[in-house]
Amino acid sequence: MRARLGPERLRELSLLAVIAVSVVVFSRLVDNYLSGSFFNRVTTSMAITAVLAAAQTLVILTRNIDLSVGSIVGVTAYLTGEYLAGHQATAPLLAVALAMGIGAALGLLNGTLVAYGRVPSIIVTLGTLAIYRTWLIDHAKARTITADSLPRWLVEFPQGTVLRLGGLDIRVVLAVAVLVIVALQLALGRLRWGRWVYAVGSNPDAARQEGLPTERIILGAFVMCGALSGLAGFMFLSRFGTITVAAGQGLELAAVAAAVVGGVSILGGSGTLVGALLGALLIDLLEQSLVRVPEVSEFWRDAVLGALILLAIAGDLAIGRRLRRLWTSSSRREREASVGG
Amino acid sequence: MAGLTDRVPVLEMVGVSKRFDATQALGGVSLALYPGEVHALVGENGAGKSTLIKIMTGVHAADEGTILVGGEQVTLRSSADAQRHGIAAIYQEPTIYPDLNVAENIFLSHRDRGVAVRWGRMYREAEAILARLDVHLDVRTLASGLSVAAQQAVEIAKAMSLDVRVLIMDEPTAALSAHEVAQLFRQVRHLTAGGVAVLFISHRLDEVFEIADRVTVLRDGRLISSRPRAEATPQRAIQEMVGREMSEFFARTEHRPGELVLRVEGIGRAGAFAGVSFEVHKGEVLGLAGLVGAGRTDVALALFGIAPAEAGSVELDGRPVTIRSPREAMRHGIAYLSEDRRQLGLSLPQSLTANITLATLRRYLTRLRLVDTGAEHAVAERFRRRLSIRAPSLDTPVERLSGGNQQKTMLAKWLNAEPSVLILDEPTRGIDVGAKAEVHHIIDELARAGMAIVLISSDLPEVLAMSDRILVMREGRQVGMFGRAEATEEAIITAAMGAA
Amino acid sequence: MAERVLRWRTELLLAAILLAVVAVNVSLSPFYLRTGNFVNMFQLSIEKAIVAVIMTLVIVNGEIDLSVASVMGFSAAVVASLHDSGAVPFAVAVLVALLAGAGAGLLHGLFVARMGLPSLVVTIAGLIGFRGAARILVGDRSIGDFPEWFDRLGQEPLVGRFSLALIIFLVGIVVAGVVLQRSAFGRAVYVIGNNAEVARYSGIDTARVKLVLLTTSGFVAGLAGVLFAARLGSVRGNLAEGFELDIITMVLLGGVSIFGGSGTLVGVALSILIILNLRNGLGLANIQATTQTGIIGALLIASVLVPNLVVRFGRRWRRAAPEPGEVRPIQRPATVDTRRKE
Repeated sequence: MRARLGPERLRELSLLAVIAVSVVVFSRLVDNYLSGSFFNRVTTSMAITAVLAAAQTLVILTRNIDLSVGSIVGVTAYLTGEYLAGHQATAPLLAVALAMGIGAALGLLNGTLVAYGRVPSIIVTLGTLAIYRTWLIDHAKARTITADSLPRWLVEFPQGTVLRLGGLDIRVVLAVAVLVIVALQLALGRLRWGRWVYAVGSNPDAARQEGLPTERIILGAFVMCGALSGLAGFMFLSRFGTITVAAGQGLELAAVAAAVVGGVSILGGSGTLVGALLGALLIDLLEQSLVRVPEVSEFWRDAVLGALILLAIAGDLAIGRRLRRLWTSSSRREREASVGG
Repeated sequence: MAGLTDRVPVLEMVGVSKRFDATQALGGVSLALYPGEVHALVGENGAGKSTLIKIMTGVHAADEGTILVGGEQVTLRSSADAQRHGIAAIYQEPTIYPDLNVAENIFLSHRDRGVAVRWGRMYREAEAILARLDVHLDVRTLASGLSVAAQQAVEIAKAMSLDVRVLIMDEPTAALSAHEVAQLFRQVRHLTAGGVAVLFISHRLDEVFEIADRVTVLRDGRLISSRPRAEATPQRAIQEMVGREMSEFFARTEHRPGELVLRVEGIGRAGAFAGVSFEVHKGEVLGLAGLVGAGRTDVALALFGIAPAEAGSVELDGRPVTIRSPREAMRHGIAYLSEDRRQLGLSLPQSLTANITLATLRRYLTRLRLVDTGAEHAVAERFRRRLSIRAPSLDTPVERLSGGNQQKTMLAKWLNAEPSVLILDEPTRGIDVGAKAEVHHIIDELARAGMAIVLISSDLPEVLAMSDRILVMREGRQVGMFGRAEATEEAIITAAMGAA
Repeated sequence: MAERVLRWRTELLLAAILLAVVAVNVSLSPFYLRTGNFVNMFQLSIEKAIVAVIMTLVIVNGEIDLSVASVMGFSAAVVASLHDSGAVPFAVAVLVALLAGAGAGLLHGLFVARMGLPSLVVTIAGLIGFRGAARILVGDRSIGDFPEWFDRLGQEPLVGRFSLALIIFLVGIVVAGVVLQRSAFGRAVYVIGNNAEVARYSGIDTARVKLVLLTTSGFVAGLAGVLFAARLGSVRGNLAEGFELDIITMVLLGGVSIFGGSGTLVGVALSILIILNLRNGLGLANIQATTQTGIIGALLIASVLVPNLVVRFGRRWRRAAPEPGEVRPIQRPATVDTRRKE
């Protein structure tokens, strides 16, 4: 009986390996690299990208894309901040629910147009990216949400810690992000609905022909993406406190990059949320590490990051291709010998 | 067999008609499928078979007539409706989810298995169903890694798991080798033993007459005959399908092959094939026989530069050549007609003309390097006439043509490149008897005119009738070379299967 | 005749929309139909329009280039920083900037064409990377003070009322249109976008076509960046940030399918005119630029949604022909190894 290591597990493991190697390499280049404060910094900042990458992954699995997540983050962060500024006594859970609810509603519009209007998702979300941002600008009328107008617990939220291991703090934001992602991954693996998400991306025509509720599945993916983006918006609000109308701009592409680095196929049907999480971690780690390498100026950061992402994808593709060929050809030889007995 | 007519048909069509714009696709067709019976449906392309299937599976609604399931009248408004009544269909190209494993592919569309997936149970049940079909697969494998035959087996397992009452099989053997066809027929008998009615559509009459209990012939939308197998013969069936007398196998005209054109010595590619050597002369047809997966297409892809050989040598007209890309192959005069005409051979949404000039556009450019549409059209018209391609106009998108005419368009495209070596990969797969005969005729003409032809085919009668010599491959290796005299079906199959 | 109308139905629809927009604008403002206004309308978005031309070919080919705005910024930054350092004469700096753009495109092209990576992902990396490179060159500053001839080329008309950029756009779109519709290269672009494997099996060098297109895309983006710098008179690190979305909107609104294999430059020309007229009219009606973007986003969605709904309800009403939705499942043949998806 062949080992249970499917290609997706393999991908997650290789990502962990790359992360480990990067840490080793950078620890040589940077003094005091392996410090608790750095760990805390990276893990808090990547939490937002990770949640967005997971949101994007849900949609990409169905062979779609959501370019409006950045605008959804902006809208939910702003509206939640606005509400909290006016209703200081709101319970935290309610605030999160508000953000996620708004996000889900925005995702609902996306999903309806894609699933029922049959408009390609890149067109819908390109349009809603503009529409949602425009609405926010109109609504805000150039007012900014400032940190001091927000309730204390919100501003202190990023510092909140769940566990302290020596110098390493496991922050609440990180814990929430990881829990949500792991829970969703389990759902995708254990619930029939989750398998249908993969099926729709793997062969949309077959899914439709077999009577799967394709439209509802796609709609569901977009709604969940919106809700998760709302959660990211809440985390964004608490992290930055000051929200302008430009909040969240550009995050959609970072989410796609993280998902792709994390092994999610842009063609749909394969990839995991945990992979997307690891992809976000890797990208954020590289970004933050480069800042600390003294030879690399701040302005070099993005350029090098772009190059590294490219290398990561290229390298992974080359290795993955070879691995996959080995994996399927050896098992195919087994199989072809035994079909028909 | 007595007593058959006392049973209630599991699916019955009474007086069904369907019209599409100006064409009467079906006119008053009545057909009954009984449980446990294999009912074969034969007819040329355009006879109405696919329309009938679409009505049975709820994709189209009939204009007239009634459909009865288990004796009760039903209206099928969608494929979901048909499924609910236990009617399912399997097509030539398997419908699978490439990224999901075998077990999931079988059980995915089940609606009554609850909200949560119980993996252990699913794997066990999948293995059980496959065992019932006498198929052995690792249920954890991703479907994308399976051969076509294995994917079809998964589809049949899926149908069994859904307790279908009627399984429609549309050209299921087109992509299978003889060995795999035998396996498929065993699976079909397991199904019928369980009371399933099978509607079997195929162009391969020898197979039809092996598996069917009943044979129905359609022509031009009308039911011509419906007989138990004992009362039917292939000749009669062909006559009724075509409406005229025809011999089934084409007879090659005798002529002597000319000088050596292509010589291949010990070529191989890791993981695909090794140690293949042969020669092809002008005017000669070299048949390449073997099971699916034996490596014949791989040899063709090596000669055509898509997946170049890593070992051995290739000589054209006595000169050694290296072929690393299709363009190089074409420059050396080699042309290749892919076995997958829809995905690899033709640009479906483009016109007849555009497809015919696709590989040779260079020749129809004006001084400004723009396309000379007049010259293009002239070429397309010439080929349309020469190969009798039936199409509404030269600008018709080829996706609207029938399989036989699509095949001829692909042939035109490569003939236009004026190759010295023409490699044909399953040139008559999935096309009707009339078009098949036309293609055979064309191959014979080309050989007579001096073209060297390599014919890859899993249709043994075709290979035997058309080839001057036959090379047999098995599992990537060359296992036999037969001249016309010693080539018999037995000899070839023995070599292809390596039977002791 | 009917066949031809059917083939050009997207473009005809767009022409109708354009007429509607222009009609509304004319009714709201009597000065609308003056040449001055027409030329003016183009000025603010001319660089985007230039890039939209090459983007059309890239998308028809089945690829996408999300890095164009960053390459615009990068080439502008090259000009500015070289000028600032005084190391070379300005004309040479411009030349280097153009080469830099082409180089960026070539880099993307090599990854896509030779390594087979998806262009979406490669050009996202480029989007991040080249924006960073622009920031390296220009830092936090705003570099300006370009030679007078440069500023004049960017800001004043060259021939009659037409500026250099506008002339480049008009010439470019005509040339691209001819190439796409009537040349062998253009045919190859369509076939590859439709089904790259069929192109390959027909002897077309698909890698070369992709390489050429992406390199040209980088070059044109570089050119647009230099023209933008001339028009603005100064360069910052965030020049042209976010432009890629507007550019892609111009192309998609023009009826070019995001999946590749179909679309024309006529459609894109009409869509550019629609967007520009819409922005112009809305601007005259005192609607903010950001709101205009939202309206254009809605228009983009409507341009696909409305024909979809019309077809679907039309079919229910006619109940004749078989539905195009009922097609065979998309297959990935297991027998031919070369086609496995990554």
